[in-house]
Amino acid sequence: MCFSLKKIHSLRFKLIISLMVVALFIGLISVLVGGNLLYRSVIAEANNRIQQDLNVARLIFDDRINNIRLSLKIAAFVSDHNNESFSTDSLSVSRVAKEQLDQLKLDFTGITDAGGRVLYRYGSNGSEKMPVLTRNPLVLRALESQQDVAGVIVLEPEQLQAEDLQTLSTTDNGTSYFDKASLLMGAAVPVFTGGKLSGVVYGGMLLNKNTGIVDKIGETVFKNETYKGRNVGTATIFHKDLRISTSVKNSSGNRAVGTLASPEVTQHVLNEGKKWGDRAKVLDDWYITAYEPITDISGNRVGMLYVGVLEAKYSDLRKNAIAVFAGITIAGVACAIVLGWMFTGRIMRPVTNLIRASAEIAKGNFSPKIGAISKDDIGLLQKEFLIMTEALKEREKRQKVESEIQLIQSENQASVGKLAAGVAHEINNPLTAVLTFTHLILRRDDLADEVRSDLETVASQTERVRKIVKSLLDFSRQTAIAPEPTNINRLIEDSVGLMRNQALLKDVDLLFIKKKELPALTLDRNQCQSVLINLIINALDATPPGGKIEILTQETDLKEDRGLEIIIADTGSGISPDHMDKLFDPFFTTKEVGKGTGLGLAVTAGIIERHGGTIKVRSKPGAGTTFVIWLPHQMNSGFSNGGIDYESKA
Amino acid sequence: MKILIIDDDYIVAKSCQRILEAEGMRIYVADTMETGQKLLASESSAPFDLILTDIKMPGRDGFDMIHEAKKKYPDIPILMMTGYLTTETIEKGRRLGADNYIAKPFTPEELTAAVVKTTSRHIGETR
Repeated sequence: MCFSLKKIHSLRFKLIISLMVVALFIGLISVLVGGNLLYRSVIAEANNRIQQDLNVARLIFDDRINNIRLSLKIAAFVSDHNNESFSTDSLSVSRVAKEQLDQLKLDFTGITDAGGRVLYRYGSNGSEKMPVLTRNPLVLRALESQQDVAGVIVLEPEQLQAEDLQTLSTTDNGTSYFDKASLLMGAAVPVFTGGKLSGVVYGGMLLNKNTGIVDKIGETVFKNETYKGRNVGTATIFHKDLRISTSVKNSSGNRAVGTLASPEVTQHVLNEGKKWGDRAKVLDDWYITAYEPITDISGNRVGMLYVGVLEAKYSDLRKNAIAVFAGITIAGVACAIVLGWMFTGRIMRPVTNLIRASAEIAKGNFSPKIGAISKDDIGLLQKEFLIMTEALKEREKRQKVESEIQLIQSENQASVGKLAAGVAHEINNPLTAVLTFTHLILRRDDLADEVRSDLETVASQTERVRKIVKSLLDFSRQTAIAPEPTNINRLIEDSVGLMRNQALLKDVDLLFIKKKELPALTLDRNQCQSVLINLIINALDATPPGGKIEILTQETDLKEDRGLEIIIADTGSGISPDHMDKLFDPFFTTKEVGKGTGLGLAVTAGIIERHGGTIKVRSKPGAGTTFVIWLPHQMNSGFSNGGIDYESKA
Repeated sequence: MKILIIDDDYIVAKSCQRILEAEGMRIYVADTMETGQKLLASESSAPFDLILTDIKMPGRDGFDMIHEAKKKYPDIPILMMTGYLTTETIEKGRRLGADNYIAKPFTPEELTAAVVKTTSRHIGETR
């Protein structure tokens, strides 16, 4: 869990996600906008085309009517030419004319005389009682106008029967078309004999169940294109709203003859006489459709002509387009992931190296490998990192040396301390005797001056030994501090008071700049006083007449410990940089032999350390020396956290 | 004035004896703590005015001496001397009953002064 969270928040993950989001966003926009735009333009184009297709269908439809008319005309002409075609007797209709008509292979043909009496009917075996008056609207109209008449007609059942169309009279489901009126196309051509109307040749086709025209449309317009096993393009002829001839198939694969157009279309086209060009539901499928009304020869709207293409072909086009766009999007996202991975890998590798290197530095390896330096901004970071590493290495080295020095120093001090204690103890007993007896002898009055003088030298030199041993002992008294609450101002004042006369004698200005309201510190008053006196003596020794020694205090916190600084600054000769690091060593002195034991500062530092404080020295040769003692408000139990600091300004 | 000196170092004891005898004091010297205790017991009829004892001695040391002496003779002031003077030594001595201390080496004057100061202070305190 922790691991995965870390991964989720990693820079690499964020970058990859960003790239992915961009790719997805663009992809989604393309899918939505592109897919829809494409679909709309395709649909618009399809709508356009279907209107043209309807025009073509209409042409085919009209062409077929015209063909019938022309055929009849030719038949009439032939009959006319033979000049034997028409007489009032049906039996006298010439054989030639009959053959001509029969060859037209129309559903119905016939010949009437100028009075409308049928002289001949195709298919009629002559058993019929002839002549009968025709009620065929084509014939009636041709007789009336004495001109060619061609077009669509509706025939009532009895008329159909009259035209001898029984042979075509049953539908697939067994019902007869002739229960109701049927739609037909046909023509009637008047025949003139000697310039005088002698009769009419007529013929036509039953449109109900006639698949020729719709199939011709399918063939010509849609080239019988199929989509998923179905014809893309369909054509239908409606009688009113009833499909009488169609290439639309129902679910069982049969032509959907006998079904109805949707009421919406019927209302729009049949009732209002407008063209329809929109998607429409045909049986169970959506088609992009075009409808227009069919009018009969009298101008009545009797049916509709329809063409349509399966919408599925186009909507599948959209689906395909969306699929392609989606594919591109997925590819884009995959690219984003791969690129992002590679890209961030390249960017992150140096950073990862730096992180690992940092961890190694923390463990103490100051020469970690960070790999090749990049040429970009990361390179700058790497260079800075190397510089930092070098600096850390240097500092570590320096600190090591310093702590080694300190260790040696403290070891020195400890061993010197032990030695001092032993030596002092052993030397003090004989020294007592020497001192006692020398002084006892000196008490005698009978000493020669020479002897007295020599003895006095013995006494003074023994005193010197005593002082050395005492210093050694002071230095060795590692644990002997007796802390008590101490008024710092009074402590400094007392120390300064003790040294005032010496300062006056040397003509050095000894100043204590007192600050009121200092907190009481817990410390060993005697030892701290000896520290102050020791430092003042040193300052006096280093400061020429007319110089100045200033003592001041300030509250300073060291790390988290509250504390107080006592600053003793002189205008003396300063300390040579060479001597700085030996300053607190036992027995190090720059004074003449016999004038100093070299233990003063070592003892001083020891005392301050045992108080948990620090002592620092700043010096510049010729410009004086400043000792800064820092003492904590609360003394820590151990004495180990003190320290000595050297700051040389050479 | 009658003083008991206890020190295992003969020459030191002798030095002290010489200094204090010069001041007119009567000196008894013991080189061990046990001898000192015997002397204290034998001289109980005319008690000592001061016990001057070294601290570091082989066997039972000066601290034992102070402890025992103070228990039996609380009125006799004790001045301790040592060549290795530390705060702990002083504190321990004081706690056991020592009245004053002096660091070795010392001059005759310093010893005399310390002895006088210890006896007089003690007298002053007890009065």
